[in-house]
Amino acid sequence: MLALDLLIQGLVQGSIYALIALGLTLVYGLLRILHVAHAALFTLGGYLGVLVTNATGSFLLAILVAMVTVGVTGMAVYRFAYRPLLGRSPLVALIASIGLFIASEELFRIVFGAYGLSYVDPPLQQRVQLFGDISLSVARIMVVVLAVVLLTVLGWLSVATRTGVAWRASVSDPPIAQAFGIDIERVRYLNFFVGSALAGAAGVMVALLNNLVEPTMGAVPSYKALAIIVLGGLGSVRGTLVAALSLGIIEAFGTIYIGNYLDRDAIAFAFLIVVLMIRPHGLLARG
Amino acid sequence: MIYEMVVVTNMAIAILFALSLNVITGFCGQVSLGHAAFLGIGAYTSTLLTKSGLPLTAALVPAALMAGTVGFFVGLAALRVRHDFLAITTMGVGFLFVGIVRKQDALGGEIGIAGIPAPDFGRPGLLVLSIVCAVAFGAFTVMLKRSWAGFAFNAIADDEDTARLLGIDVPKFKLWAFVIGTAGAGLAGALYAHQIRYIGPDSFGFVESITVLAMVIVGGIGSIWGVVVAAALLSALPQWFQFVENYKLLLYGLLLFTTMRFAPGGLASIVDRFKNRSARGS
Amino acid sequence: MFKKLAIALGIASLAAVGTVSADSIKIGFNAPLTGFAAADGNSALKGAELAVQQVNSAGGIHGQMLELVVYDDQASPKEAAPLAVKLITKDEVVAGISGSYSGSTRAAATIFQESATPYISAYAVHPDITRAGPFVFRTSFVGDVQGRAGAKLIGEVLGKKRVALITLNNDFGKSLAAGFKEKAAAFGIEITGEYDYGIKDREFGPIVSKVKSDAPDAIYASGYFFTAGPLVSQIRAAGIEVPIIGQEGYDGQKFIEIAGPASEGVLITTSLNRDSTDATTRAFIDGFQAATGNAADMVAASAHTAVLVMSEALKKAGGTDKDALRQAIAETSLTAATGNISFNALGEVQKDVQVQVVRDGSWHFHSIISDAVLLAPPAE
Repeated sequence: MLALDLLIQGLVQGSIYALIALGLTLVYGLLRILHVAHAALFTLGGYLGVLVTNATGSFLLAILVAMVTVGVTGMAVYRFAYRPLLGRSPLVALIASIGLFIASEELFRIVFGAYGLSYVDPPLQQRVQLFGDISLSVARIMVVVLAVVLLTVLGWLSVATRTGVAWRASVSDPPIAQAFGIDIERVRYLNFFVGSALAGAAGVMVALLNNLVEPTMGAVPSYKALAIIVLGGLGSVRGTLVAALSLGIIEAFGTIYIGNYLDRDAIAFAFLIVVLMIRPHGLLARG
Repeated sequence: MIYEMVVVTNMAIAILFALSLNVITGFCGQVSLGHAAFLGIGAYTSTLLTKSGLPLTAALVPAALMAGTVGFFVGLAALRVRHDFLAITTMGVGFLFVGIVRKQDALGGEIGIAGIPAPDFGRPGLLVLSIVCAVAFGAFTVMLKRSWAGFAFNAIADDEDTARLLGIDVPKFKLWAFVIGTAGAGLAGALYAHQIRYIGPDSFGFVESITVLAMVIVGGIGSIWGVVVAAALLSALPQWFQFVENYKLLLYGLLLFTTMRFAPGGLASIVDRFKNRSARGS
Repeated sequence: MFKKLAIALGIASLAAVGTVSADSIKIGFNAPLTGFAAADGNSALKGAELAVQQVNSAGGIHGQMLELVVYDDQASPKEAAPLAVKLITKDEVVAGISGSYSGSTRAAATIFQESATPYISAYAVHPDITRAGPFVFRTSFVGDVQGRAGAKLIGEVLGKKRVALITLNNDFGKSLAAGFKEKAAAFGIEITGEYDYGIKDREFGPIVSKVKSDAPDAIYASGYFFTAGPLVSQIRAAGIEVPIIGQEGYDGQKFIEIAGPASEGVLITTSLNRDSTDATTRAFIDGFQAATGNAADMVAASAHTAVLVMSEALKKAGGTDKDALRQAIAETSLTAATGNISFNALGEVQKDVQVQVVRDGSWHFHSIISDAVLLAPPAE
């Protein structure tokens, strides 16, 4: 049953990665920018989740507040950080993004303190018996459920609504989409809102799983998310999902079996480098 | 006076480190987000040698060679991938280095190596050695920039495909850039290890790679004197002002962001703008 | 290019002007005031400041006031080493105290030893710290000793024989694990599995699953509050009910806050007994509560002890000569909040190990491990 247990661990972790990496791939698909600062939005979500739950006692409210606030913040990041840089080399945006990310980690520390925050009364701690010996806390199950729900809704929206179709068109071919009269700016804002909101949700859930929010909690997910979207083929949503789940599972097994030779976080990068050498445009690259 | 010597030595090492990245990212346009790994390779190599009895001067060349050799292989990777992918790959190299070192007990593992032997010639000697290395490497890069190799680097940085069309052997020059740059970093690493007298996986992580990148960017990619000034200031400020030390990362982050936003050419471009304006104005 | 460098260098040397406050004795103090270990560092600092205030209000050192020169080392050895150089060459401290973790203490210790400046490690456990030389002392247990005590606690006192070992992969965790393994067999303990994790890990899913399938009778897990908190709560969340035994890295209210109800019943080996009736200990615990409004913890108590040891030695040495001070420290014999302090030739202490347990949301007395042979610190 250990193998099954590890598999489930991997899926839970992979779902978290998926929620974070998706926002990243959406931004890349549209703007060709590696939005490293995305992880700061993840961290912001975590802090908001804890603060709102502790203040109001309602976890549901906290998730909603976190998602909306982070989504809006994401839009602001686009407007003030990336839009002015659109004409330049993508490297400029990458470095600006890294700078923004590092500065925001420090800002979190300055504003919220160095110690980290915890839920006063963590919700969703009850355990559910699955099969055999395996039991998971409701919180962990929520992560997977939340990921599945959010992504399915997104997927449905992108085929069933006009905005969704417009968005997909803009992501595949911005100039043509614009030629067809699609308001690219609106699509971009929408993109950032959705991607950031997802990351915010991920932040709330991770804060719950660990019962600890720290200023630097975004660092590791940010690097891994980058590895994931590259692995999945930059800009490919499906590829990102596959890569995110695969990485979660590989890490779960890797930690136990090759943990003596390689740091857990390095596993993601080792995997990445190997893949890139074989397929320089990622696993499921789009053209 | 001892403290002043320490500060200046640190500055010289930072300048050397930044100049070495300038060759790869500045001259040749190959973004490297994992340059600290090479600082680390030089540091660990030299430490293992001095701990087994060799004097520091004898450990310098092996440190640079080791870093340059690994740099060669990373350079090979640069031939496969470009731009964003290269940035991520080099970032991956940085993490891989740290991840592997963490698990090797021979390299001190997670705990690192403390009590690295002080060089025989003491702090004044190390100060002189560091300055000599920084100046020598700096002079070398000046020569490089003015040479045919420099032209080739520049062409590749501008537009790789066109450079290829012009008959430039792009792979060869990319590899050279990596080897030279990483060897320089290795040299800086050896000096760093014997200055701080402690090294560990934490000393060579992503933050260190970003810090040196910040120095190159703020100075002005490709501009030698710009990078020297930026490296000197950014390494010295936290040591002069405790206040700056406390908010060091915030400062670096903001600097990177505002430089990219308002003056992507760094200090060098700001100075150029002044010069042009005064030349035209009068 | 060279002109620019010269200008930059000129500016650099201008700024290196130190400030001197006359007539106070300066003691260097490095602790993590920011970064992941900030809660411990700040607590240690408060403990030290309380001691300094108490010493100064009782007349100081023959009339001279004690002053702490404090630097934030972020629990990072690469920050600590240059700070040590700064304390010695720029601030010209008479001696130093480390309120920080093992990694940074170890890096700083070699620098202090080299400049023949006395250095006391308040609570960092790695054995190599005192091996840096005769100028380095430690007022808390060596990691190995605490690990051995853990083996006795589990094997003999609790009577559990199948133990899973979860180790934090750094100086702290590794030295604890080494001591534990050394004595495990002597107490009839069979180690069902050994797992380690990195200081940045907060997600222990795979390890917890594997431990669960090992089905041990007890878990010996090393870590700090920010790793032990998530670890313990994830262990309980997976349905593992067996006793969890930690060490002084858990010692503090933060661990209980993070792990929540999962922290109930967790045992640790440490050096502060909150339920102590000893006068000196009570004076510290109550004094700390009154001065800061927070409950005292091991790191604060250890830093407090270290400052007391330093001030007693300064009084005995009758001056600020570093060699005389070193000698005086070596001859220390006093009772402080963390026990009876006297040093062996290596600069290590020999004292009992307190075992505390979490009951009703706070730490309380459980038992004492008092075995002179078992707990003998290394002598070289």
